[in-house]
Parts: sequence; structure tokens; C-alpha cells
Amino acid sequence: MKAKVKKSVRQHVIIGNCIAAVTAADTLRELNPDDRIVILGDEAVPSYSRCLITYFLGGMVTQSHLLSHSEQWYKSRGIELHLATRAETVDTKRRVVHARCNGRKKDIPYDTLLVATGSSPIFTKSFPYDPHGIIGMRTYADVQQLKAWAKKGKKAIIIGAGFVGLKTAYGLVRRGVRVKVVELLPTVLGRMTDHEASMRVRDRLTRHELLDIELNNSVVATWRHRNKYIVRYQNGGEEEADFVVASVGVQANTKFLEGTGVQIDRIICVDDYQRTTVEDIYAAGDVCRSRHIVTGQWIYNAIWPVAAAQGRVAAYNMSGQQQVYAGNIPMNSVDFYEMWITAIGDVQAEGTDIEEITFKSNSIYQKVKLRDGIPISFMAVGNVDGAGIIRGAIVGKTPWKEFVKKPQTQLLPVVNQLGGFIAKAVA
Amino acid sequence: MKAFVFRPDKCDVCRECEVACVAACSAAPKDSSRYAPFIKVYQSPQGPFLRLCKHCEDTPCVDACIGESLQRGPGGIIIQDEKRCVGCFMCNMVCPHGAIKTVMGLEKAFKCTLICGGGDAPACVVACDRGALQFDDFSTTVKKRRARKIQGILRK
Repeated sequence: MKAKVKKSVRQHVIIGNCIAAVTAADTLRELNPDDRIVILGDEAVPSYSRCLITYFLGGMVTQSHLLSHSEQWYKSRGIELHLATRAETVDTKRRVVHARCNGRKKDIPYDTLLVATGSSPIFTKSFPYDPHGIIGMRTYADVQQLKAWAKKGKKAIIIGAGFVGLKTAYGLVRRGVRVKVVELLPTVLGRMTDHEASMRVRDRLTRHELLDIELNNSVVATWRHRNKYIVRYQNGGEEEADFVVASVGVQANTKFLEGTGVQIDRIICVDDYQRTTVEDIYAAGDVCRSRHIVTGQWIYNAIWPVAAAQGRVAAYNMSGQQQVYAGNIPMNSVDFYEMWITAIGDVQAEGTDIEEITFKSNSIYQKVKLRDGIPISFMAVGNVDGAGIIRGAIVGKTPWKEFVKKPQTQLLPVVNQLGGFIAKAVA
Repeated sequence: MKAFVFRPDKCDVCRECEVACVAACSAAPKDSSRYAPFIKVYQSPQGPFLRLCKHCEDTPCVDACIGESLQRGPGGIIIQDEKRCVGCFMCNMVCPHGAIKTVMGLEKAFKCTLICGGGDAPACVVACDRGALQFDDFSTTVKKRRARKIQGILRK
């Protein structure tokens, strides 16, 4: 007979309130019905999908849809929610989080702590943060501010043509704002596209008269002049706008962990169990690193599915049930005016050992890269049908020769080189 | 938990299942230009193959959905709230079966949610008189598949 050990009630504290935090809280509640769970969110609203804010800006998503987690959601699970509460320091000896809420101090003791504070946009000297006209696109407050500014006939400059930059531009254009996007790299969507795909995306977007994208250019200075903002470019040109959105990248929110001994190399260094280097402190989401599932290397892969999975794995380990997170591969998918773009894996990998298979037609562009006969990346513009089938081959390291023998791979133009021929024949 | 089983050796690509699917799914747009059944059978040099949501045990699409449109519903079925779909196609990117598709003009992702009344016999399974498509309990399907594999090996 097993002796029953009475478990004492523990307090799990989660700093952060986005997908990693919410998934972790939900899983913790499932695993530990009696423990106390506390969430500290620094925003004024309960959890929402951060990926949806650009769609909210464009009016494709309603407010009630965006704010999907009501306070009732937390109440029904017995989760204590502290809104507008920002963690300031963590005392690892006494196991207390020192937080501040509207100027008042709050001390919250913890038994296990999960850091899921995410990341925030980078500003530089050339475009410093200014609440009156230079902001990032990351939070509910940001999108509310942009909605207030984005009146018909206004002009906006977006610095950076990554996923956030282009999606913000897309949203602003739908509100009737004239938008100019400036990108330092010769490609759009960061490192997830090649030259050909970038040009196709740019052409599709700039077909709209309100949108302009300039590549190979950057901003060297921004200043305010009579309620407008003037941006000076690297090539000497100057442009005037009503407001500026910075989307050149993100940095992990780790400042409050200084002095705690948690190892941070720009992002939190976690292990396979989502543990940090300090006992009983875990991390999940955009604030920490994750493994590349194919190469096994630590990478910064700040995407939604990774955050959700990390939150779940962290919750298991916080409850004393060991679980490993194997990682994922870099990937992203987006849609502009019915042109879908999907990129999976190391799209810009180059070298003598890399073999490329491409399919090109007027509306479709697909490319697979093989290393030693094994697919390592897939990129599709226009027709992204069955992208997940190739993702399976990349993750499973299936040799291309074997992969193309499977009947369902005939769905992909890059395999059958017929460009939607099968689909057309059926319809 | 039930699952679809497809036997390519019995399928002769008559597409009766596709017709039944369109007829049964009120959600599927009806005019012919948007002919888009959730089930689709393709002919390939390697034989016919089926494109249909398998309602997997582990759900990469639900994890990847940024708008909480795809969710695990009652009975293990993966349901979709079309209003919440923003058409980002993250689900398509992770679906190993290529089961998610779009309908031109709608900018949304679509998949089988068994709204045809599903239950024990979805419309496509009822329509298939070749026995190529079955809807069975998950554990029995796995058992049957294993038995078939063993038989195949023994015959060799």
C-alpha cells in the first residue's frame, strides 16, 4: 500500500498574460485542482490573441473576438488575475515577486514562477519611442492608439517590412491611410522569402494605390515638426507623415530579472524542460529560446504554436511531471488580398550542398531546398495547398525521393510540376 | 473517438462522396463556381488518395490557430468557428494531411467539421458503395490496419 502524502497547497505565479501564460494556467489548473494560480498581466485588458491585433486594426476582427478571454474565463478556472500589474524585481531567496499596480506596490510570494512576459518592439536613436507619433505594434493599447490616429487621408510611415510591418500596413490601408513601408533588407517578410517571392508580395501589395514599399533603404533620423513627423532616409531623402510605426524587430522583456541569476543572452536560456538557471523559475513564449527540431540547435523562434506548446510543457514541469519540449522549425503564414504566403524552415539557406526545386507560373511560386537529398525548407506564394505535407517531410527528415512517391504529394505543384492541374481537372 | 479510414485499393474515384459532401454541408457554398467539398479524391500515378480532415488525436492545427477558430469540440471532433477565422492559413502550414483548403473569394480556411450530421455515418461514408471509405472507432481502425499489414507481410 502506498502511503498517502498530503500535498500542501502551492502557489504558481505566472508573469505575462498572452498565449504561453494562458495555456500554462489552463494546464496547471487541470493538473493541480487545489493549487493557487496567479497571473500578473501588465496590460489593462485580459488575455487576447496578439497575432490578431493587425486584423483588428483592419476591421477584419471585432473587439469581442479579439478579447476572447473574459474575466469570467479566469474566474471559472479559479485563476487569480491581476491586471495592469507590472513585475519590477524578483527576490529569489525569499521567493517573492515585487510588482507595481497603478503606483501601489504588490508583493506576491511564489512556489514556482513562470516568466512569459513576451517581447516588445525595438526603437533606436533614429526613431525613438514617442507616445504622440512613433509607436510599435504589439499590444492592445498600441492598436487602440493606431485606430485613433488612422483616419482617412492620413499618412503613415512603417519602418521594417517584416510580418508585423506588412500586416500593419495592410490594416492601415483598409482604413484609408496612405502608407509607406521602408525596409533595410532587399527582401520583404524578413528572412522568410527570397528575391522572387519578395517581388511578388511587393507587387501584390503595392497594386493598391495607398501602399508603397521601398526596399534597401533605412531611416537615419526622425523628428517632430508642426504636428507632423519628418523622416530622413539613408539616401538623403526626407518624407513627412502623421505618425510612424516601428517594426524592425523585437527584444525580450527580461529587465525585471536582472540580478536574479537567471541566465539571459538577450533572451532567456531555458533547457528542454523550460527551466531557467534558477530553481523553480520557468520561462515560456517569446521571452525564451527553443530548439530547432531538425538540427537540435537553440534558436529564437517567436511564433504562436511554439509559445502555446512551451506554456503547456512548462506547466507539466511546474507540477512535478517531467515533460520535454522537442521544439519546432521557423515558419510563418500570412494572407494579403487572397495571396497566401507560407514559409517553413531555413528558407535563405545557401551553399554548395543545397539543391533547389522550384515551380513558377503566373500566379504560383513554390520552392523547396534540399540538403543531401533531404528537404530543409519550403516556401510558397499564391498556392499554399498542402504546405503541411512538406512540413512533415522536413521535420521527419524524409528523403525527397521517397517523399514524392507518396500519392498525396501530387497535390503540390512543386512535386508534380503541373500547377494546380489536378485540382482543375477535378473541378 | 471515431476516425475516417480510406482504402485506396477499393476506390475507383467515382466522386460520389464529394457530391454527397456538398449536398449535405449547408455551409459549403452552393453555386458551381465555388464548388468546394470538404472531402476530395485525387487520382495520382500512385493510385487514388483522399484529402479530408482526419480529426487527429494531437491537433497541430488547433495549436497553430491564432484566432481560436479551430477548437476541439465534443466527441473529439475538431470544430471551426468560421467567424473567427482570419485566413492566415497557419493551420494549413502544420496539417500533415493537407486537409485545409480555401474557397476563392472568402479568404478563410475551410475543413470538414462533420456538420453533415456526422455521428455514426457521415454523408460521404454513406454515399460510398465500394467500401473504400469507412468511419470507425479509432482503436478498431488501428487494429484492422495492423491486421491487414500483417496479412500483407505473410502473403509475401
